[in-house]
Amino acid sequence: MMPLIVALLVGAVLFGIGLYGALSQTNLVMIMMGVEVMLGGAMVNLVAFWRFLHPEVYSGQMFVLIVMTVMALEMAVGFGIGTGRFRVKGSVEMEEARDLNG
Amino acid sequence: MILQTVFLAFFGLAAIWFAVIVFHTSSMVRSALALLFSQTAIGAMFLAMQTEFLGVLQIMMMATEMAIMAVFMVMYMMDPGGLSGMDMTHQKNLSIAAGVIGTVVAVGAALLVDWGPIAGAPPPEAQVHDLGIEMMERSMLIFETAGVTILTAMIATTAIAIQSRQTIQEGENE
Repeated sequence: MMPLIVALLVGAVLFGIGLYGALSQTNLVMIMMGVEVMLGGAMVNLVAFWRFLHPEVYSGQMFVLIVMTVMALEMAVGFGIGTGRFRVKGSVEMEEARDLNG
Repeated sequence: MILQTVFLAFFGLAAIWFAVIVFHTSSMVRSALALLFSQTAIGAMFLAMQTEFLGVLQIMMMATEMAIMAVFMVMYMMDPGGLSGMDMTHQKNLSIAAGVIGTVVAVGAALLVDWGPIAGAPPPEAQVHDLGIEMMERSMLIFETAGVTILTAMIATTAIAIQSRQTIQEGENE
Protein backbone atom coordinates (compact mmCIF):
# COMPACT_ATOMS: atom_id res chain seq x y z
CA MET A 1 0.00 0.00 0.00
CA MET A 2 2.87 2.36 0.86
CA PRO A 3 4.25 3.05 -2.68
CA LEU A 4 0.74 3.86 -3.96
CA ILE A 5 0.15 6.34 -1.14
CA VAL A 6 3.57 7.96 -1.71
CA ALA A 7 2.84 8.38 -5.44
CA LEU A 8 -0.65 9.79 -4.76
CA LEU A 9 0.73 12.27 -2.21
CA VAL A 10 3.37 13.47 -4.67
CA GLY A 11 0.67 13.84 -7.35
CA ALA A 12 -1.53 15.82 -4.94
CA VAL A 13 1.25 18.24 -3.95
CA LEU A 14 2.31 18.73 -7.58
CA PHE A 15 -1.31 19.51 -8.50
CA GLY A 16 -1.52 22.10 -5.70
CA ILE A 17 1.74 23.79 -6.72
CA GLY A 18 0.61 23.86 -10.37
CA LEU A 19 -2.76 25.34 -9.41
CA TYR A 20 -1.01 28.06 -7.42
CA GLY A 21 1.27 28.80 -10.39
CA ALA A 22 -1.51 28.89 -12.98
CA LEU A 23 -3.58 31.30 -10.86
CA SER A 24 -0.83 33.56 -9.51
CA GLN A 25 1.36 34.23 -12.56
CA THR A 26 0.69 37.16 -14.88
CA ASN A 27 2.70 35.92 -17.87
CA LEU A 28 1.20 33.54 -20.42
CA VAL A 29 4.30 31.32 -20.52
CA MET A 30 4.40 31.01 -16.72
CA ILE A 31 0.66 30.19 -16.62
CA MET A 32 1.33 27.39 -19.11
CA MET A 33 4.11 26.12 -16.83
CA GLY A 34 1.59 25.93 -13.98
CA VAL A 35 -0.74 23.86 -16.17
CA GLU A 36 2.21 21.58 -17.07
CA VAL A 37 2.96 20.95 -13.38
CA MET A 38 -0.74 20.16 -12.74
CA LEU A 39 -0.80 17.70 -15.65
CA GLY A 40 2.43 16.15 -14.31
CA GLY A 41 0.68 15.50 -10.99
CA ALA A 42 -2.27 13.95 -12.82
CA MET A 43 0.09 11.67 -14.78
CA VAL A 44 1.78 10.43 -11.58
CA ASN A 45 -1.65 9.48 -10.23
CA LEU A 46 -2.67 7.72 -13.45
CA VAL A 47 0.53 5.66 -13.61
CA ALA A 48 0.24 4.79 -9.89
CA PHE A 49 -3.38 3.63 -10.33
CA TRP A 50 -2.43 1.55 -13.33
CA ARG A 51 0.67 0.01 -11.77
CA PHE A 52 -0.57 -0.71 -8.24
CA LEU A 53 -4.29 -1.37 -8.75
CA HIS A 54 -4.98 -2.65 -12.29
CA PRO A 55 -1.77 -3.53 -14.18
CA GLU A 56 -3.74 -5.91 -16.41
CA VAL A 57 -5.86 -3.09 -17.91
CA TYR A 58 -3.80 -1.02 -20.35
CA SER A 59 -6.36 1.79 -20.64
CA GLY A 60 -4.43 3.38 -17.74
CA GLN A 61 -1.30 3.74 -19.88
CA MET A 62 -3.45 5.01 -22.77
CA PHE A 63 -4.76 7.77 -20.48
CA VAL A 64 -1.16 8.80 -19.73
CA LEU A 65 -0.34 8.90 -23.44
CA ILE A 66 -3.39 11.13 -24.01
CA VAL A 67 -2.33 13.46 -21.16
CA MET A 68 1.16 13.71 -22.72
CA THR A 69 -0.49 14.63 -26.04
CA VAL A 70 -2.58 17.27 -24.28
CA MET A 71 0.59 18.69 -22.68
CA ALA A 72 2.31 19.02 -26.05
CA LEU A 73 -0.78 20.55 -27.68
CA GLU A 74 -1.25 23.00 -24.81
CA MET A 75 2.33 24.20 -25.29
CA ALA A 76 2.00 24.46 -29.08
CA VAL A 77 -1.32 26.32 -29.09
CA GLY A 78 -0.23 28.50 -26.16
CA PHE A 79 2.94 29.56 -27.94
CA GLY A 80 0.94 30.18 -31.14
CA ILE A 81 -1.40 32.50 -29.25
CA GLY A 82 1.61 34.06 -27.49
CA THR A 83 3.34 34.75 -30.81
CA GLY A 84 0.16 36.32 -32.26
CA ARG A 85 -0.31 38.44 -29.14
CA PHE A 86 3.35 39.51 -29.07
CA ARG A 87 3.15 40.70 -32.68
CA VAL A 88 0.14 42.90 -31.94
CA LYS A 89 0.84 44.15 -28.39
CA GLY A 90 4.56 43.46 -27.85
CA SER A 91 3.86 41.58 -24.63
CA VAL A 92 2.33 38.34 -23.35
CA GLU A 93 1.33 39.79 -19.98
CA MET A 94 -2.19 38.58 -19.26
CA GLU A 95 -3.07 41.59 -17.10
CA GLU A 96 -2.77 43.67 -20.28
CA ALA A 97 -5.09 41.31 -22.15
CA ARG A 98 -8.33 42.80 -20.82
CA ASP A 99 -9.01 44.17 -24.32
CA LEU A 100 -9.81 40.58 -25.36
CA ASN A 101 -13.11 41.09 -23.50
CA GLY A 102 -14.30 43.03 -26.55
CA MET B 1 8.70 -2.96 -2.15
CA ILE B 2 10.68 -0.90 0.40
CA LEU B 3 13.32 0.04 -2.18
CA GLN B 4 10.56 1.05 -4.61
CA THR B 5 8.96 3.26 -1.94
CA VAL B 6 12.33 4.89 -1.19
CA PHE B 7 12.96 5.64 -4.88
CA LEU B 8 9.41 6.94 -5.34
CA ALA B 9 9.76 9.22 -2.32
CA PHE B 10 13.19 10.47 -3.46
CA PHE B 11 12.14 11.29 -7.03
CA GLY B 12 8.78 12.61 -5.77
CA LEU B 13 10.50 15.04 -3.41
CA ALA B 14 12.81 16.10 -6.26
CA ALA B 15 9.78 16.71 -8.53
CA ILE B 16 8.07 18.79 -5.82
CA TRP B 17 11.23 20.73 -4.98
CA PHE B 18 11.88 21.69 -8.61
CA ALA B 19 8.18 22.54 -9.12
CA VAL B 20 8.45 25.01 -6.22
CA ILE B 21 11.63 26.49 -7.77
CA VAL B 22 9.72 27.08 -11.06
CA PHE B 23 7.55 29.75 -9.39
CA HIS B 24 10.09 30.89 -6.81
CA THR B 25 13.00 31.98 -9.00
CA SER B 26 12.91 35.28 -10.88
CA SER B 27 15.10 34.03 -13.75
CA MET B 28 12.99 32.60 -16.54
CA VAL B 29 15.73 30.32 -17.86
CA ARG B 30 16.17 28.82 -14.38
CA SER B 31 12.42 28.48 -14.22
CA ALA B 32 12.31 26.48 -17.49
CA LEU B 33 15.23 24.30 -16.35
CA ALA B 34 13.55 23.68 -12.99
CA LEU B 35 10.40 22.55 -14.81
CA LEU B 36 12.55 20.27 -16.99
CA PHE B 37 14.09 18.68 -13.86
CA SER B 38 10.67 18.38 -12.22
CA GLN B 39 9.21 16.59 -15.26
CA THR B 40 12.33 14.40 -15.52
CA ALA B 41 11.90 13.42 -11.86
CA ILE B 42 8.30 12.47 -12.72
CA GLY B 43 9.70 10.31 -15.56
CA ALA B 44 12.08 8.71 -13.04
CA MET B 45 9.05 8.00 -10.81
CA PHE B 46 7.45 6.18 -13.77
CA LEU B 47 10.64 4.09 -14.07
CA ALA B 48 10.54 3.39 -10.33
CA MET B 49 6.95 2.18 -10.83
CA GLN B 50 8.25 -0.26 -13.51
CA THR B 51 6.52 1.63 -16.33
CA GLU B 52 9.59 1.74 -18.57
CA PHE B 53 7.98 2.84 -21.84
CA LEU B 54 6.13 5.82 -20.36
CA GLY B 55 9.14 6.80 -18.21
CA VAL B 56 11.52 7.00 -21.16
CA LEU B 57 8.86 8.75 -23.29
CA GLN B 58 8.23 11.34 -20.55
CA ILE B 59 11.95 12.15 -20.13
CA MET B 60 12.54 12.43 -23.90
CA MET B 61 9.42 14.53 -24.55
CA MET B 62 10.01 16.90 -21.67
CA ALA B 63 13.69 17.47 -22.53
CA THR B 64 12.67 18.63 -26.02
CA GLU B 65 9.63 20.58 -24.85
CA MET B 66 11.44 22.50 -22.12
CA ALA B 67 14.37 23.35 -24.40
CA ILE B 68 11.88 25.00 -26.79
CA MET B 69 10.06 26.62 -23.88
CA ALA B 70 13.29 28.23 -22.59
CA VAL B 71 13.84 29.86 -26.02
CA PHE B 72 10.28 31.23 -26.08
CA MET B 73 10.61 32.52 -22.52
CA VAL B 74 13.73 34.48 -23.34
CA MET B 75 11.98 35.84 -26.47
CA TYR B 76 8.76 36.99 -24.82
CA MET B 77 9.53 37.86 -21.21
CA MET B 78 10.16 41.47 -20.28
CA ASP B 79 12.88 40.49 -17.81
CA PRO B 80 14.10 36.97 -18.73
CA GLY B 81 17.18 37.11 -16.51
CA GLY B 82 15.21 38.36 -13.49
CA LEU B 83 17.83 41.06 -12.86
CA SER B 84 15.41 43.91 -12.17
CA GLY B 85 13.47 41.93 -9.54
CA MET B 86 10.04 42.54 -11.14
CA ASP B 87 7.09 40.96 -9.36
CA MET B 88 5.18 39.01 -12.02
CA THR B 89 2.42 37.65 -9.80
CA HIS B 90 -1.09 38.73 -8.87
CA GLN B 91 -3.95 37.54 -6.61
CA LYS B 92 -1.39 35.76 -4.43
CA ASN B 93 -3.63 35.01 -1.43
CA LEU B 94 -6.37 33.55 -3.61
CA SER B 95 -3.83 31.42 -5.49
CA ILE B 96 -2.22 30.10 -2.30
CA ALA B 97 -5.67 29.31 -0.85
CA ALA B 98 -6.71 27.47 -4.06
CA GLY B 99 -3.42 25.53 -4.14
CA VAL B 100 -3.65 24.53 -0.47
CA ILE B 101 -7.33 23.51 -0.74
CA GLY B 102 -6.63 21.47 -3.91
CA THR B 103 -3.71 19.71 -2.20
CA VAL B 104 -5.61 19.02 1.03
CA VAL B 105 -8.61 17.56 -0.82
CA ALA B 106 -6.38 15.31 -2.98
CA VAL B 107 -4.25 14.22 0.02
CA GLY B 108 -7.42 13.51 2.00
CA ALA B 109 -8.77 11.33 -0.82
CA ALA B 110 -5.43 9.49 -1.10
CA LEU B 111 -5.29 8.73 2.62
CA LEU B 112 -8.94 8.04 3.41
CA VAL B 113 -9.91 5.76 0.52
CA ASP B 114 -9.36 2.01 0.92
CA TRP B 115 -7.43 1.21 -2.26
CA GLY B 116 -7.39 -2.57 -1.81
CA PRO B 117 -4.44 -4.92 -2.36
CA ILE B 118 -1.36 -3.97 -4.39
CA ALA B 119 -0.92 -5.89 -7.66
CA GLY B 120 2.37 -7.12 -9.12
CA ALA B 121 3.83 -5.49 -12.25
CA PRO B 122 3.92 -7.31 -15.59
CA PRO B 123 7.42 -7.71 -17.12
CA PRO B 124 8.59 -4.82 -19.39
CA GLU B 125 8.41 -6.78 -22.67
CA ALA B 126 4.85 -7.90 -21.87
CA GLN B 127 3.93 -4.28 -21.08
CA VAL B 128 5.16 -2.95 -24.43
CA HIS B 129 3.48 -5.83 -26.29
CA ASP B 130 0.14 -5.43 -24.48
CA LEU B 131 0.19 -1.63 -24.79
CA GLY B 132 0.76 -1.99 -28.54
CA ILE B 133 -2.16 -4.44 -28.79
CA GLU B 134 -4.33 -2.05 -26.71
CA MET B 135 -3.45 0.87 -29.02
CA MET B 136 -4.07 -1.03 -32.22
CA GLU B 137 -7.26 -2.77 -31.10
CA ARG B 138 -9.50 -1.48 -28.33
CA SER B 139 -8.13 2.09 -28.07
CA MET B 140 -7.55 2.55 -31.82
CA LEU B 141 -10.22 5.25 -32.11
CA ILE B 142 -8.75 7.24 -29.17
CA PHE B 143 -5.25 6.90 -30.66
CA GLU B 144 -6.41 8.06 -34.09
CA THR B 145 -8.37 10.95 -32.55
CA ALA B 146 -5.21 12.07 -30.73
CA GLY B 147 -3.30 12.01 -34.05
CA VAL B 148 -5.93 14.07 -35.88
CA THR B 149 -6.07 16.51 -32.94
CA ILE B 150 -2.30 17.01 -33.13
CA LEU B 151 -2.53 17.70 -36.88
CA THR B 152 -5.41 20.16 -36.35
CA ALA B 153 -3.49 21.93 -33.56
CA MET B 154 -0.38 22.20 -35.78
CA ILE B 155 -2.37 23.85 -38.58
CA ALA B 156 -4.30 26.12 -36.18
CA THR B 157 -1.13 27.15 -34.33
CA THR B 158 0.68 28.01 -37.57
CA ALA B 159 -2.36 30.00 -38.74
CA ILE B 160 -2.49 31.95 -35.47
CA ALA B 161 1.25 32.62 -35.28
CA ILE B 162 1.88 33.57 -38.91
CA GLN B 163 2.05 37.26 -39.72
CA SER B 164 -1.04 38.51 -41.57
CA ARG B 165 -0.64 40.03 -45.08
CA GLN B 166 -2.24 43.26 -43.88
CA THR B 167 0.41 43.68 -41.15
CA ILE B 168 3.22 42.95 -43.63
CA GLN B 169 1.84 45.53 -46.10
CA GLU B 170 1.46 48.12 -43.33
CA GLY B 171 5.09 47.48 -42.32
CA GLU B 172 6.26 47.94 -45.92
CA ASN B 173 4.28 51.19 -46.32
CA GLU B 174 5.90 52.62 -43.20
